[in-house]
Parts: sequence; structure tokens; C-alpha cells
Amino acid sequence: MKRILLIVSILILKVSVLLAQNPNYAKAMEGLVTEIQSTRFGTTLQPQANKMERIAAAEKVEWLPNYWVAYCYMMESYVEKDDDKRDLLLDKADVFVANIEKMKVTNDETEVLKANIANARMAVSPSIRWMKYGSVVEKALENAKKINPKNPRITLLEAQGVFYTPEMFGGGKAKAKPVFEKAMQQFATFKPVSGMHPTWGEATAKWTLSKIAP
Amino acid sequence: MKTLLFLLLPFIGLSQATIKGKITDKKGAVLPGANIQIEGSYDGASASEKGEYSFKTDELGDKILSVSMLGYKPTNKKIKIEKGEIQQDFILEESINTLNAVVITAGTFEASDEKKMVMLKPLDIVTTAGGGADITAVMQLLPGANRVGEQEGLYVRGGSANETKTVIDGMIVQNPFFSSTPDVPQRGRFSPFMFKGTAFSTGGYSAQYGQALSSVLLLQTQDKVSDASSLNLNANLAGLSASYTHKGSVNGTLFYSNLAPFLGLVKTNIDFEKIPEAIGASLTINENLTKNSTLKIYGTYSDNVSGLRIRSFDKPAESSVFSLRNKNFFSNASYRSTSEDGNWVFLSGFSYSYNKDLIKTGNDKGDRFDERTQGRVVLNRLFGSEKSNTISVGAEYHAIRSGNIFNQFDLNLKDNYSAVFTESEFYFTPKLAAKIGLRGEYTSVIDRFNVAPRISLAQKTGQYSQVSLAAGRFYQTPEKNYLYLNRTLNYELADHLILNYQRIKDNRTFRIEAFTKQYGQLVFEKTAFFDPNPYRFPTGTSDNSGKGFANGFDVFFRDQKTIKNADIWVTYSYLDTERKFRNYAAQVMPTFASKHNFSLVYKHFIPTIGLNVGATFTATSGRPVYEYGSDLKNPIWTPSFQNLSLATSYIKQVKKHFIVLYATLDNVLGRKNVFGYRYSSDGKQRFEVQPLVYRTFFCGVSWSIGKLDRKPREATLDMD
Repeated sequence: MKRILLIVSILILKVSVLLAQNPNYAKAMEGLVTEIQSTRFGTTLQPQANKMERIAAAEKVEWLPNYWVAYCYMMESYVEKDDDKRDLLLDKADVFVANIEKMKVTNDETEVLKANIANARMAVSPSIRWMKYGSVVEKALENAKKINPKNPRITLLEAQGVFYTPEMFGGGKAKAKPVFEKAMQQFATFKPVSGMHPTWGEATAKWTLSKIAP
Repeated sequence: MKTLLFLLLPFIGLSQATIKGKITDKKGAVLPGANIQIEGSYDGASASEKGEYSFKTDELGDKILSVSMLGYKPTNKKIKIEKGEIQQDFILEESINTLNAVVITAGTFEASDEKKMVMLKPLDIVTTAGGGADITAVMQLLPGANRVGEQEGLYVRGGSANETKTVIDGMIVQNPFFSSTPDVPQRGRFSPFMFKGTAFSTGGYSAQYGQALSSVLLLQTQDKVSDASSLNLNANLAGLSASYTHKGSVNGTLFYSNLAPFLGLVKTNIDFEKIPEAIGASLTINENLTKNSTLKIYGTYSDNVSGLRIRSFDKPAESSVFSLRNKNFFSNASYRSTSEDGNWVFLSGFSYSYNKDLIKTGNDKGDRFDERTQGRVVLNRLFGSEKSNTISVGAEYHAIRSGNIFNQFDLNLKDNYSAVFTESEFYFTPKLAAKIGLRGEYTSVIDRFNVAPRISLAQKTGQYSQVSLAAGRFYQTPEKNYLYLNRTLNYELADHLILNYQRIKDNRTFRIEAFTKQYGQLVFEKTAFFDPNPYRFPTGTSDNSGKGFANGFDVFFRDQKTIKNADIWVTYSYLDTERKFRNYAAQVMPTFASKHNFSLVYKHFIPTIGLNVGATFTATSGRPVYEYGSDLKNPIWTPSFQNLSLATSYIKQVKKHFIVLYATLDNVLGRKNVFGYRYSSDGKQRFEVQPLVYRTFFCGVSWSIGKLDRKPREATLDMD
């Protein structure tokens, strides 16, 4: 009996070590995710990125902290003015995307994130990089659609793609408008899995639509 | 319950420790934003604007405190955390990255999609007025190049055209230009769109390449970037072409060119007996075999005919016909693979080329051919921080055959050329880098061996500026026209020393480079009297007693910032050069050299209407001409060369159709440029060498059908 108890308790111990998650995980994440998503564009996300990176380092099996670190650095690259530094920030974002890949996690949000990073790479030098990164964006969004066609962030990125393509290349405001409207409809019904999952994008869609409206 | 909490509270307070400190770099500069963390816990902090951090933690005992910061090497330290305050400072070391790493720039002018220190990008080549979407024509606008209007090729810093080699994916291209016709310069055979990167070396280049006394033009073919299929059709005043790309990996192109519409518009200075006509095809296969390996195969064949009427310099009323038929085949295959950990890169290549010219001049028949089979392997080992250091070893082998039949004369040459090289590039610090290389070559036709050392250094002098130095020895097998008659010749050689300063900030580039080049062992031919005809075949006895020098500097400035949507470059090159070589009996300035070369390129894009406009102005000081039978002491000088060109293009996309219209006007001012003089065989009569046409107009359309989303700016301005 004693032996059985011992084995059971060792097993329990082992399992609990495996699942050892900081009891504060969900709480810390939710607070930080809210903070990140409500930060105004143009404000640095470096402190949030640092906090998120600490959580990612401690929770080695969770993809979400890695997602958010990458997201922060992607956003940060738009704030930075020096082109070399922008690439450096995106190199850092890529490290965390690679972490997610190592966990063998793929879902619509990670694919949207990859598209986002490729967009940011392209933004550094559009006329030179469109060829390489344009197709990366397309492929990632295609993959995301296969997993969850109702994800509004896919539609938002597509809409932005049209919006920022000059009219003579088949883009422009008028053509982007219905796509943004579709994104808005999807945002209205979208329910995130948890408070740690991404919900960003609706404000951007709304803001861009207000710029299009005559 | 409340009491319990009350009881616990002091414990929490008591069991907490405060960790604080300061994060700086090696020079003591503070590093705000650095991330400090106790490994395995969430506890940590970001460094403040003053580089200071402080946080409280419950994690007591032996822990690891780690620090990370963008652009710096992460570090950590084992600490014992006890109640109370702990002070722990960190000094971080910079990691090597694009922000701080110096790049060796002496002698090279790089244009690529990937490298950060770029000067000119592939697209810049097609949007340059006066460049005609020809790689070489645009390179002639760069510092170090001398403009020569009557012949193709790159004349770099006092070097002749055959001192520059064109290299595609590591393989020498034997016939980079369409076959030469007297006094009519030819275009390059390759479209700028084939290449993702172009590096133009004006000297002091890497030990990976050889057989060029002055310069190498390194072209890297495009990688596979997408799975899209597309069709492209082109029509212009010189021909038609159609190209289909299947799923991004296989491309087939057919072209037919005929200069009749182009030459019909303008009065030419040369009469055509047969208007140049060409037909050709090419096939490209570009596949990513696995995640870490790629295969590229390229093959092209073309067949050209042309015939021009050349006046007799002896009897000006008479003329004879020079007719040329050229068949050219070029193929290149390259394989690249990288080990899983990225520490090893293996490159191999194979190339076969064949070129045949059937020439008739009056009643004389000539026949030239060249054939080259070459193989190349290179193994790179990457090591050190951020894999920034490299050691490479490699070898190449070429089997070269060439022949020249002229009436009853039949000349032949067989050469087996082999080379081994090793090179190492390493960073002492992110701000100081060195590249050291050694190349050994054996040439069977002269049965000679050489060893050439190369070295270059670069030091960052500020956040945006750097100095760089390159030196080395360069060998080249003598020109085949001399080898046909004399196999006892030795290599020709040149020693280069180049010093370069460069500053790049906010889309403005300033660059100045000074150089000195010493030529030795140049082939010298003894002749009874001086014959200035550049197309003459050597007849005298030859040896390696020639020599010479080239000294000078060049300045380059590019501004993409001051005027929105505009791109301006200004180039000036100064050259002082003399040499005793070929049939020059004395050391004098060669006829292809000019002291001053200036160019100004302006481009402006108007996004709202999709219009691109540009202008290029070039000026070159007069070149020396030595008269028939002269002692070379008193040259006569050609007038200076000046040219103003305009170019415009308009782009429009309708659904999956993408259309580009373009037009260029060359020599707007109609200046009657003279490139030199030709003489009658008694030396008494002199004739001007004139351009094919004084003023040219050219236009065309390019139409692409296929997936073309997100195509910004002048993306498919294919002017070929």
C-alpha cells in the first residue's frame, strides 16, 4: 500500500511538474494582452514586449506569449524610423514565430501573424521587396482562411493590401471599401477563445473606413 | 479568514527581495529598454531611460538572472537571492548586426535586393534614361567606368574592355555581349530582370574570382519567389518577345528582333546592307529542392545576322560590306545547399557556352569560334557570433577552345585553366572587419602558374560612415590574338591599392574612392610603324615587356530624400593613366581612356498618374588619338563627349492585366559626338568615328497577364 501510494504520489508529482504553470499565467496574460491591444498606434510597446517575453521564457509550452512578443515587435517596427533597425525588430519577431513553429502549433492567428510580419518587412522598402514578401503574405492569408475563414483579421489584412496598393495597380480606396465593410461584419460576430487570444483590428478597420467615406 | 490573511501578509513582505542595478554597454552608455528576468519566473523589469532597473521578487535561493536587449548579446548570472536588497549591474556586448556591422566596400559597388548596404537596385537599371535597360550601359554611369562610345564593354580605371569579366552565379560568361561589329557598340545579352543582384567591382575584388586585371561584374540570378504563373508580351521598335512563367519555377522566352522600324525613323551614320535581325529562345528552371537546397538552370540560344557597309579608308568613294552571322549558346546550372544548422554552405556550378561568328569583309572570309566548359565548387564554413565569419575554399576548372579562320589562315587555341582559392572574412569587432584571400591558377596554353594574394579591411568611423581599404594582385592570361602566334608569353598582371570612404544616412549616399594600379608584364608587340586600327590582327613579335599605371579618384553622391519621389545621382571620375602595351612603342595614355567622366542622373515618379520621368546627362573629356605611323608623342584629342537623354514610362493595371508604355529620346541636343578617328592605309586620310545615329527615339509596350497583386511602382518596367 505504501509503495502504491509512493508511486501514485511520484506520478502526481511528475504530472504536476509537467503541467506546472504559474498560477498567475491567465491573469498576467489577460492584463497584458488588454494593455497591448489598447495601446495607441505610435506608442512604444517595448515594456509590454519585455513582460511578455518573460512570460514566454517561463512558459515554454505556451504559444500565446510567443505570439504576443512577435506581435509587439511587428508593431514596433512601424514606429521605428531607421530601416536597418526596423529589420532588426522584425528579426526578433521572427525568433518568436520560430518558437511557435517548434511547438508544432499552427492556427489562423499564427498565420495572420506571419502575414503581418511579411507586410512589415515589405513596408521597409516596398518597391524592392514586394516580390519576395507579397507572395509570403498571400500564402499565409490563404492558409489562415483554410483554417478559419471567419477570422476578421484575415479580411482586414486583405482590405489593407488593397487600400495601400496604388489605383493603377488595381488597388485604391474605392476597391478597399467593401472589403473593410466585410471585415467589420466579421468583427461584430467574432468571439475570441479566451482573454489571452487576439481581438485587435476592429478599431483599425473603423478608422480606415472613416478615411474612405466621402 | 481575515486573520489568516493578516497573519500571512507580513510573511509576504518579509520573504521579498529587491533586485536592482544598471545596464550599460562596454563604453558605459546606458541601455534603456533592456529586459531583466529571473529565469523560470515572470519576475523582472525593463531598464529605465537611465538604464536602471529595480524589481521585487519572492523567488529566493539560487537563481539565474538574465538580461536581453535588441542588438546585444544576451547574458546571465547566477545569483543567490536573499531577503533585502541585491545590486546587480550588467555590461552588455554588442552583437553583430546590420545596424553596427561594417561592410567591406573598397572597390565594390553593390546593387541587390537583399543586402542592406545597397547603392543601386536592379530596378534602377531599367529606369535610368540613356541606359536603355542595358546593365553595362548603366554601369558606365557609375564611378570608375570610362565611357567609350564605339565599342561595347566596361573600361574600368584605365583598363581595356577585356580586363573586365562578367560573372553569372560564379561562372565566367565568355560572350556577355552580342558579337562585335566595327564601330557599332553592342548590347549585353542578358536582361536586368534575370538578376536579383549586381555587384560592380572597380578593383581589389575577391580571391573567388580571377582572370580580370581591372574589374569583375558579378551578376546573381533571381531566386524562386512565388508559385504564380504569368504571361508577358513585349513589342517595341526593335522587336517582339513573349515569355511564360509556369508556377514561378519554369520560364520560357522567345524573341525576334529586327531593327528596321527603329532605323527607319532616323538617319543613320552607317549604311546597313542587312538590317540586324535576330531570333532566340531561353529556358529557366528555378526550383527549391528542399528547404535548404536550390537548383537553377538557365539556357539560351540566339542567331543573329547583320551587314553593314563600311567605307574604304583608302578610296573614300568605294565601300565594302561587313556581314556577320552569330550563333550563340549559353548555359549555366548551379546548385546550392545549406546544412540544417546553417554552418555550412555548399555551392557548385557548371556552365557550357558556344559562340560562332561567320564574318565576311569584302572578299575576305573570317570565322571565329569560342567554346568554354567550366565547373566550380565552393565550400563555405560560417562561424562565430551571428555566423558573421566565413572561411571558404573552392576550385574551378575551364576547358577553353577558340579558333580564328581568316582566308587561308587557320588559328587554334586549346587551354585548360584551373584555379584553387581560399578566403576568410572575419570581424575583429562589429566595427572592424578583414577579408584575406589567396588564389592559385594554372593555365595550360602557356604552361604557367601564379599565386595572387588579396586583402581588404573596413573600419566603421561613425554610425553612418566607414573607411575601407583593398589591395591585391591580379593576373590574366594574354589576349588570344597574341596567343595564337606566341605561346611563350607569361601572364599579364596588375597590383591594386584602393582607399574608400563612405557615408550613408537617410537615403543619401556619399562615397569617395582613391586608387592606384600598377600594370606589369603586359603583352607588347614590336611593329615597324604604328598602326592605330583597333581591329588589326597582331603581326609583330611579342613579349611581356609592357607596363603601365592608373591613378585617380572618383566621387559619387546619391540623394533620394531631398525631393520626394525623386532619385538623383552625381558621379565624377578622375583618371591619370599611361601604358606601354600592344603595339604602343612608348608608355602613353591609351586611346580608350579619358581624364574626366561626369554623369548626372535624375528620376522622378509621379504616383498619382503612374508616370515615371527621367533625364541623364553625361560628359567625358576628349580621348587621345595617335596618328598613323606616329611616334605617339603628340596625340590629337577627340572633342569632349556630351549626351543628354530623356526617358518616360507610364504604368497601368486593369484587373489581371498590367501594361507599361515607355519611350526614350537619346542625345536630345543632337550633339555630333566623335569617338575617334580611322586612317587610310597610307596614313594620309583621316575619318571620324561617329555614333550609329546622332539622335535616337525608342518606344515600346510591355503587357503582362497573370497574378499581379500588390505590384508597387515601376515593378515590371521591362524595356527589353
